[in-house]
Amino acid sequence: MKPLFKIDLKRIPSFNDKSAAEREKNFELFLKGGFPSKKDENWKFSDLNFIISENFKNITNNDNYKFDEKIESINDFDHNKIILINGSLRSYDLKFEERDKVKIERLKSSEGSYDQIKNNLHYLNKALSIGGYKLEVQKDYKCKKPIIIYNYFTENLDNKIINNSNEIKLNQNSELTLIDYNIGKKSKFIKNTFEKININKGSVLKNIILQKTKGNCYFYRNISGTQDYNSSYQNFILSSGLKFNKIEIDMNLEKEKSSCYILSGLNLSKEEHQEIKTQINHLAPNCKSYQKIKNVLESDSNGVYQGKIFVKDIAQKTDAYQLSKALILNDKAEFNAKPELEIYADDVKCSHGSTSGSIDAEAIHYLMTRGIELREAKKLLIKGFLNEIFDNITEEKIRTFLEKSITEQIDENR
Amino acid sequence: MKSEELKNQDYKYGFTTEIENFKAPKGLSEKTIRFISEIKKEPKWMLDWRLKAFNRLKVLKEPNWQKPKYPKINYQDLYYYSAPKSMKDKPKSLDEVDPKLIETYNKLGIPLNEQKRLSGVAVDAVFDSVSVATTFKGELDKKGIIFCPISEAIQKHPDLVKKYLGSVIPLSDHYFATLNSAVFTDGSFVYIPPNTRCPMELSTYFRINASETGQFERTLIIADKGSYVSYLEGCTAPMRDENQLHAANVELVALDDAEIKYSTVQNWYPGDKDGVGGIYNFVTKRGACRGRNSKISWTQVETGSAITWKYPSCILQGDNSVGEFYSIAITNNHQKADTGTKMIHLGKNTKSKIISKGISAGQADNTYRGLVDIGAKAKNSRNYTQCDSLLMGNKCGAHTVPYIKNKNSSSTVEHEATTSKINEDQLFYCNQRGLNQEEAVSLIVNGFCKEVLQQLPMEFAVEAQKLVSISLEGSVG
Repeated sequence: MKPLFKIDLKRIPSFNDKSAAEREKNFELFLKGGFPSKKDENWKFSDLNFIISENFKNITNNDNYKFDEKIESINDFDHNKIILINGSLRSYDLKFEERDKVKIERLKSSEGSYDQIKNNLHYLNKALSIGGYKLEVQKDYKCKKPIIIYNYFTENLDNKIINNSNEIKLNQNSELTLIDYNIGKKSKFIKNTFEKININKGSVLKNIILQKTKGNCYFYRNISGTQDYNSSYQNFILSSGLKFNKIEIDMNLEKEKSSCYILSGLNLSKEEHQEIKTQINHLAPNCKSYQKIKNVLESDSNGVYQGKIFVKDIAQKTDAYQLSKALILNDKAEFNAKPELEIYADDVKCSHGSTSGSIDAEAIHYLMTRGIELREAKKLLIKGFLNEIFDNITEEKIRTFLEKSITEQIDENR
Repeated sequence: MKSEELKNQDYKYGFTTEIENFKAPKGLSEKTIRFISEIKKEPKWMLDWRLKAFNRLKVLKEPNWQKPKYPKINYQDLYYYSAPKSMKDKPKSLDEVDPKLIETYNKLGIPLNEQKRLSGVAVDAVFDSVSVATTFKGELDKKGIIFCPISEAIQKHPDLVKKYLGSVIPLSDHYFATLNSAVFTDGSFVYIPPNTRCPMELSTYFRINASETGQFERTLIIADKGSYVSYLEGCTAPMRDENQLHAANVELVALDDAEIKYSTVQNWYPGDKDGVGGIYNFVTKRGACRGRNSKISWTQVETGSAITWKYPSCILQGDNSVGEFYSIAITNNHQKADTGTKMIHLGKNTKSKIISKGISAGQADNTYRGLVDIGAKAKNSRNYTQCDSLLMGNKCGAHTVPYIKNKNSSSTVEHEATTSKINEDQLFYCNQRGLNQEEAVSLIVNGFCKEVLQQLPMEFAVEAQKLVSISLEGSVG
């Protein structure tokens, strides 16, 4: 822990003397425990402390938010834009939406997270957070086009740490598709993000997390949210290409008929380590949750899935499902899973499945007898394996775009 | 009403045997350990081994990650050795055994008299801290099979004991295993010589009788090359309103081409309807498939105990070795169970299979916790896990916590789990055909458990089936 940090709180843009004491207190709390290690049950399969101390020393906080490159946007479908530079809100353009129906604000500190989270990385975030954005969709408004969050990271971020926090709120009967699009340069840095999501009655939030290029980055993202009556949350995680990435989703289904979908398709290559950890709390009757986690592991990559379904005693008629599947393509690759059920109601349908293994030799044989060479056959099967998770994306153009991105990833890795 | 009557039916084995006891001084200390070692007339190496464990125990902490929490155990308030006085000078034959003890076992349905028994099962009966009698010794001797109390094996077969004791569960493994290593009193020892098929089922029957005692028995089974043994274990205890600790260690070693089948029907006193009393069953069971083509199979029916906390495991070291785990855990009233298995694949082409059925009723909590770990060198290994839970009522809980690790591209791991309640349609169907609610549930539950029950040896299967029905009586309707 000794030479790991060289933090200067004054470099935080929104820093003022009023918040100084609070930030210092949180930083001290963080230092007491440091980065979580595998002794912590939540980090059993991803020893962050080890990973960080192997790769970093003299971590400083970033104070550079200059960016003058041309922004290259996605042309495959119409969309609104939010632009973040190194985690901080730069600008936005909501040209497809009606005026005042979607509100975006700048956050200055760690407002976008729940206070009750007791987690060392949360202390770190509260100490160093530069804020982020707050997005609110008004009552009865269904967004016409998706919003893409262009998450740019500049060149000079070596050994820097970025702490930000965002908040998303959907008021009654609203709808939004949000795409997180990470674009990084070659520098090696850490990002620690906390997000608060609030989905009200009858609202639908779709969130897609996508990585444009491979990056030498170490990401942690904590999403915690609450869902009201008949609301729906869908999360698609396609963030392959990071050195380390852990996404932790904590969703509370507080009222009846709410549903939560978490789908992930990751294709990990050399020295990549990704973990998806979920906790779905069924707190009311008649809710549904569905998780499907797919990993393709090449080279010495490491995939982890820790999922927990909690069903409270009053949450009768719960329908909860967890599935994790991994294709291990190299003897150095590793897949660890801990799909957990904690159930206190009897009239429920809860099940989980987990499989890991190699590509089906018979399927390869079948393809090869039809004149497809081994390399192509493998690619085809991997594509089929991952593409399955797009079935839930109804928007044709977005689906085509995601399929294209995944195909590029697979081609790059093989 | 039948169900009302049944609700009041008491734990059948809850009687106490009025017998004079000979006890070690209360408390856990070096003195107690020396006392146990001396009374067992142990050689010095054994005492040293115990003391080493005791020293290790001083730095260990009780684990606390388990789901069922329990009040702190005062280890200084327990008797670590308790034996019927009449057993102080070892009886030479069954005729010399105190008739009261024989009567106790008759009452439990385990007659020690060989003529009365179904032939084909040899029994070692352990009462509190000592082995009372071992039947069918002569017949086993002829084949070169050693089946005796472990205290006897320490004296008569020190080489075997020295070589294998602690080789699967090391001295410093964890708190309860180390506690057992320091203070274990008796248990069974089995050695099957090469290329021998044990002609009968070997069985140990454990009974805790004295109050304020803990039972710490140790079982060691070695199956030499090409041998086979099937071993059964049964347990009961009187009804008391205190919690008693049972911390046993069971070690199995299977060498090349050997097979061990270990079956348990655990029916310790579960405590009363309000959760007062009952046994804390904190047991460490582990088997090592050391040789090529070896196989270890665990079958357990867990119906008793206030808290059951155990994970019979297999370390699959030898190439082509096989590990199996079949489990039924039934919890009713305030019972709690946290059980499962560990399958550690180290050798090539190793296979493991886990079938776990958990049933909870009343206010009980039932957890399956398991690990499947496929190492980088365990090429072409395979695991299949299925764990199903059944919930009766909405005051109980069913939990599944599997850990799955795969470090190998040629190995396959499959895991599936479901949680549900008894299907209304099935119940309706049974009711319609004249079965009452109680009978219908018993029938459906037995069907739910069938995959595990059919793994049990015949003599046990019948008893286990009855036990499954009895344990759930009063939980429906």
